[in-house]
Amino acid sequence: MTNECKKGRNLKNSKSDMVNLTKNVDQKDDLKYNRRSFLKTAAGASIALGLSTVPFSVRAMMGMAEEENERLEIGRLDQLGEGESMTFNYPTDNDPAILVHTVNGDLVAYNSACTHLMCPVFYKKEEDILLCPCHKGYFDVNNGQPVEGPPQRELPLIEIEVENGIVYATGRKYRHG
Amino acid sequence: MDKKMCWILIFVTIAVNVVMVQWTVESYLGREFNQVVIYSGISVVSAFIAFFVFLNWRKLEYAEENQQ
Ligand code: FES
Repeated sequence: MTNECKKGRNLKNSKSDMVNLTKNVDQKDDLKYNRRSFLKTAAGASIALGLSTVPFSVRAMMGMAEEENERLEIGRLDQLGEGESMTFNYPTDNDPAILVHTVNGDLVAYNSACTHLMCPVFYKKEEDILLCPCHKGYFDVNNGQPVEGPPQRELPLIEIEVENGIVYATGRKYRHG
Repeated sequence: MDKKMCWILIFVTIAVNVVMVQWTVESYLGREFNQVVIYSGISVVSAFIAFFVFLNWRKLEYAEENQQ
């Protein structure tokens, strides 16, 4: 395979029939859209897709390094009766969260931004369920999973700890259950 | 590896990569960073496979033409 030939394989001095059928009115298209260029595009697409995940893993590695959950005081347990709930922010001030003392006596906490369009969810004790009023989304209060309405993903779970009657938030899980 | 095999392999890598992009984004949004790295690793490997298979295909394809 000489160099000259390699360069000329798509040009007018090629020996290829496709290139030399000059009376063909669609010659330009034939040169542009053919089996070979189809496969080239396919290979290019595959490579592009593959490399497009790299930024995510770079960000992920950065995220792994800085993932540290600090402990935050939420409030006193004796001020939160069964069937009541309170709001707080965790892990940053921009992440609203809700701590629920369910009617069964369990203590659970979730980020309260609805996974549909971020409206805040609240606890409806009559039905023992978390309700998002915006589009009637319902979440199971025991595990944060969506049960009805538009939301598709679970609410991020906030891990809590009770010590000397004080409730602390200690971490957050995005995927759970 | 003949040319047909190259075609098959390239399309298999496309399929793999489409799925991996989907999974990477999913687990990135779910903050499952370990999985992000795994999926994107698979994806990059498959991109490399696509690249080398393509080089191989190109060699075969144009070698034929030059013989004619
Ligand atoms: S924002 Fe909660 S259901 Fe739409």
